[in-house]
Amino acid sequence: MARVYNWQIGREMSYWYPESRPEKQFAAVFDINKCIACQTCTLACKTTWTSGRGQEYMLWNNVETKPYGSYPLAWDLNLLDSLQGQEWQGNVYQGQTVFEAAPEGERVLGWRPDEHDYSYPNVGEDDCAGQIEKGASLDLPHMMWFYYLARICNHCTYPACLAACPRGSIYKRPEDGIVLVDQDRCRGYQECVRGCPYKKVFFNPMTGTSEKCIACFPKIEQGIQPQCFVNCIGKIRLAGWLSKPEEAKPENPLDYLVHVRKIALPLFPQFGLEPNIYYIPPVHVPTHFLRQMFGPGVDEAVKQYRNIAQDPDLAGLLALFGSTEFIVPRWKRQGDLVIGMSEKGTELIKVPMREPIHIRGAYDPKYNIARVNCP
Amino acid sequence: MLRAKSLLILMLTLILSSGVLILSCRSGEGPITAEVVIIHSTNLPLDPNDPIWNAAPKHLAKLIPQDLVEPRLMKASTSEVQIKAVSNGTNVAFRLEWLDDVKNDLPGPAKFIDGCAVQVPSKIAANVPDPQMGQAGQSVEITFWRADWQAIMNGRKDSIKELYPNAAIDHYPFEAKPLEKDPVAQSEMQKRYAPARALGNNREGPRDSAVEELIAEGPGSLSPAPNPTGAKGKGLYNGKGWSVVILRSLPKDLSPNTRSQIAFAVWEGGHKEVGARKMRSGWVPLLMKAEGELSKNAY
Ligand code: SF4
Ligand code: SF4
Repeated sequence: MARVYNWQIGREMSYWYPESRPEKQFAAVFDINKCIACQTCTLACKTTWTSGRGQEYMLWNNVETKPYGSYPLAWDLNLLDSLQGQEWQGNVYQGQTVFEAAPEGERVLGWRPDEHDYSYPNVGEDDCAGQIEKGASLDLPHMMWFYYLARICNHCTYPACLAACPRGSIYKRPEDGIVLVDQDRCRGYQECVRGCPYKKVFFNPMTGTSEKCIACFPKIEQGIQPQCFVNCIGKIRLAGWLSKPEEAKPENPLDYLVHVRKIALPLFPQFGLEPNIYYIPPVHVPTHFLRQMFGPGVDEAVKQYRNIAQDPDLAGLLALFGSTEFIVPRWKRQGDLVIGMSEKGTELIKVPMREPIHIRGAYDPKYNIARVNCP
Repeated sequence: MLRAKSLLILMLTLILSSGVLILSCRSGEGPITAEVVIIHSTNLPLDPNDPIWNAAPKHLAKLIPQDLVEPRLMKASTSEVQIKAVSNGTNVAFRLEWLDDVKNDLPGPAKFIDGCAVQVPSKIAANVPDPQMGQAGQSVEITFWRADWQAIMNGRKDSIKELYPNAAIDHYPFEAKPLEKDPVAQSEMQKRYAPARALGNNREGPRDSAVEELIAEGPGSLSPAPNPTGAKGKGLYNGKGWSVVILRSLPKDLSPNTRSQIAFAVWEGGHKEVGARKMRSGWVPLLMKAEGELSKNAY
């Protein structure tokens, strides 16, 4: 095991290989507050990449309803349970990562979902579990809240899938940090499936190999965002490149949200993988729940988001989400306009912070008729 | 009195030991040997039940958990594999038999498959490679049999319904109407959704042998053999365990005058054994009998 630095947990940790960061790191921000669980992302991915034999059960992109939903079943609870105490002291994680907590004989702390754990995605996640006797009242152990969590592979800086593979069949591309399973080298041992705490590698019984999200690398190579990003109805997603914290550039939208404003947070940073999909936490959810999921930065992130009406830069940047299929490596705000630019500064997209409002009267004088709202 | 007692013990010992002899040589069973002894036969049996096997001496290879490299096997399972070997001078057939009360031959998430492997050094040398899959510069040849490949060879169809009989599939894009009359376009599209198959990494799907020929230079370095020699295999499950024949070319330079080594591994799918999580032997001496040399002269 080597010693590597993981900025998300504020300390060094043990990892199977020495630190080796890519030239550029593919990363993304998902604004949970805007997700409507329409599953368009899930289908965009499914039709593009996983419509083959043996891929029937696979969802490289899935959207689950928290706190009860999960795909595969209990992916998060199972690991949280075996990871035990996960204390933070300020921004420094005091507990053990999946690498540090690896039991004897294992490369990482993991577990294997079985077929049934994949068999019921989204079933019953936000339904009432049964009839309510004597009137409609629910007595639940928590507040009446839920939110949608859209998930893809995190193209982690310290991937557990990669560390778990005894054959070195998984690699992280030096040019963009995308994590891939070499389909020629993989022998289907499923160690990656066992090792990935996010359960974002899937075993294909018809090819006998493990398969995972490829971040639509053929699109990324063309400077275009992945399928689940450009098809997102809620415009909750923005893909781009993330720098190391000490090299953050405010004109890079990802750096601005993750490092400068710290409003977008990693999913379960305590696992120790330095995942690269960042979430703007839902503002209506008790922060003690969110802290376990997104780490100690939750309270500050929620506070900033609630104040967004008085925060034109933040509001402006969020308006760029879903506005173009291109990756926007730079941005700036000019008054009420937000401009997305290429690396060299060429304008790729210009969006108003507020769409112009046009009010149609209830009466149309030209045709002399009353207007009705048609469905 | 004392003499009578000693005589009794001597007689008892004689009776008991002849019993052992009778047991180990019972009808058609070859004797048990400390090394793997390859006997000569013009016909090489691929069928594990072929009577040719009866005459071959048997070696009981002790298996230990792979516990040197992570992921390790922390709990022992199959403790022993019975080995017999026959050669026609060009090829050699090994029969491996072990107990396994459940047959595991279906691939799937968290499902693992029964299998076994035979390993020999790539060349015979005084300096023997590491028994754990060789070492850098000293490669080993591995012939690997798997129960799902056997099922495919036995006729299991290449369909998800074979793995999940109740599977309901709405639609595969390569089965779309406009492609129906164009099998080339269909298979091209199907390949796009199965990159491992497109690359010829045939872990699953149609195949022409139940075994795979591999080389390795240490753990994690397993690769397809650069010059495969058409190895074959056949496994039978009898409700109590597996009986598997692995037939390959005779290891290079192995002859009745040379000695070499051989090692074995067994994976019990039901015990979640796969890859590095396996039961394996150390090197076992490998001895080849010349044509005409009777197997009973082996000892
Ligand atoms: S497409 Fe967008 S809004 Fe719809 S479920 Fe996916 S992430 Fe949420
Ligand atoms: S999320 Fe899982 S599959 Fe993706 S890179 Fe991280 S460990 Fe690997």
